[in-house]
Amino acid sequence: MKDIVLGIGDLGVASTAGTTIKTYALGSCVAIIFLDPKTRCAGMAHIALPDSSINPEMRRKRIGYFADSAIPALLEAMVRNGTHPTAKGMIIKLVGGASIMDNNQTFNIGKRNLLAIKKILWTRGMGALAEDTGENFSRTVAVPVDTGEVIISCPGRGQWKI
Amino acid sequence: MKKMTAPPPLTRLVQRAPMLSYSASNLLQVMTTASHELEDVIRLVKHDSILTAQVLRVVNSPVFAPLQPITTIERAVLYLGEKIIVGIAVADSAVKLLHTRLEGYEAKQGDLWRHDLFTAIASREVIRYAKNEIDAGVAFTGGLLHDIGKAIISDCLAGTSREVLYRIEQGVVSDYITAEQELLGYDHAVAGSELAVHWGLPEALQAVVRYHHQPELAPKEYRGLVYAVHLGDIIAMMWGQDTGSDGMQYQLDTRYTAYFEISPEQLAMIMLTAQDAFEEINQDFLPSKEAK
Repeated sequence: MKDIVLGIGDLGVASTAGTTIKTYALGSCVAIIFLDPKTRCAGMAHIALPDSSINPEMRRKRIGYFADSAIPALLEAMVRNGTHPTAKGMIIKLVGGASIMDNNQTFNIGKRNLLAIKKILWTRGMGALAEDTGENFSRTVAVPVDTGEVIISCPGRGQWKI
Repeated sequence: MKKMTAPPPLTRLVQRAPMLSYSASNLLQVMTTASHELEDVIRLVKHDSILTAQVLRVVNSPVFAPLQPITTIERAVLYLGEKIIVGIAVADSAVKLLHTRLEGYEAKQGDLWRHDLFTAIASREVIRYAKNEIDAGVAFTGGLLHDIGKAIISDCLAGTSREVLYRIEQGVVSDYITAEQELLGYDHAVAGSELAVHWGLPEALQAVVRYHHQPELAPKEYRGLVYAVHLGDIIAMMWGQDTGSDGMQYQLDTRYTAYFEISPEQLAMIMLTAQDAFEEINQDFLPSKEAK
């Protein structure tokens, strides 16, 4: 059994049996999860912000930080692991993107992250099959490669799957 | 949710908490005096051999990587800056409390420390966007200490997380701190401020600890500072640096706009800058670190 633990802005792909990809305490960040049933490969990125134009240097340093750089990079990593370049048949799931109430909209980063991710997926003809997103609590997510299950947990709320 | 049958009196919890070291307490006092000089900080560090050793260890670590090894406190303080020196002193002194595993919040060991450190850094970043001048050192130190009350009331909250969250979801209580009040008759902000008084911390820091979830109620002279830590706290939780079941279960006081002008893009920059600083500083503040 091996765990690949992703920090903020990290992305990872695995196809080895017994491996689990995990990321902790998403807050307003979003985990995008790619699952390829043909290659039995799983990939995940811990996306923190919608748009890399605010800090191109950080984009170079950690490509998974931003929705617009993380999604193409994760897809490329999946293709390197055998996924067809069109990503046909690939399952996509989204977790996270919690928000804190702010009438000024400034602090609604979770919503902006989700919108940016869905827009990027849409422009590529892709979409999420399932999601556990929004609301006001932070989620931890684990994806065992063997089952492709997306297991979510949160202190005080237990554990569930999508 | 009923008040617990017999929650321990707050005074007993406060008296049971470890004392802040003499050096940390004095450094905090000095930092909040507008007229203080770097020499005051140097003098206090030099009088504490354990703190001296820790400061020299941190300054010569790969994170700060001086070109030549630094062997004197004078150079170390100049190199690191007084905010980091105070952080080292507080962290060393309150290590036991800040590193407590918050069972009542279902948090892991180290979560409180990471949350406090991230809040401290984010609070310091937030004041770059303040409409009026706010002391960066006090904001940083206030961020480090704002949740100290959780460490002393956590055990009393053991086993309550699920019910508290249910009641917030149902709208019975507005946030986690109100639920703490209902359960215990006091909350982590009140408990923390009692401890701050017990430790003899400066008034500005007492105000931060007491009002970080209700900044509008802070004394007027400290209100901008308290709002800075309020925002730093919210940013830390949004960034996933929370303390367990209470993560994001507090209200953002949107009246912060009276004190700060922050656009969504600037907020994103605050988060990125804070994360960068956090990754650097977290390595060296505590001997037993557990980086996220």
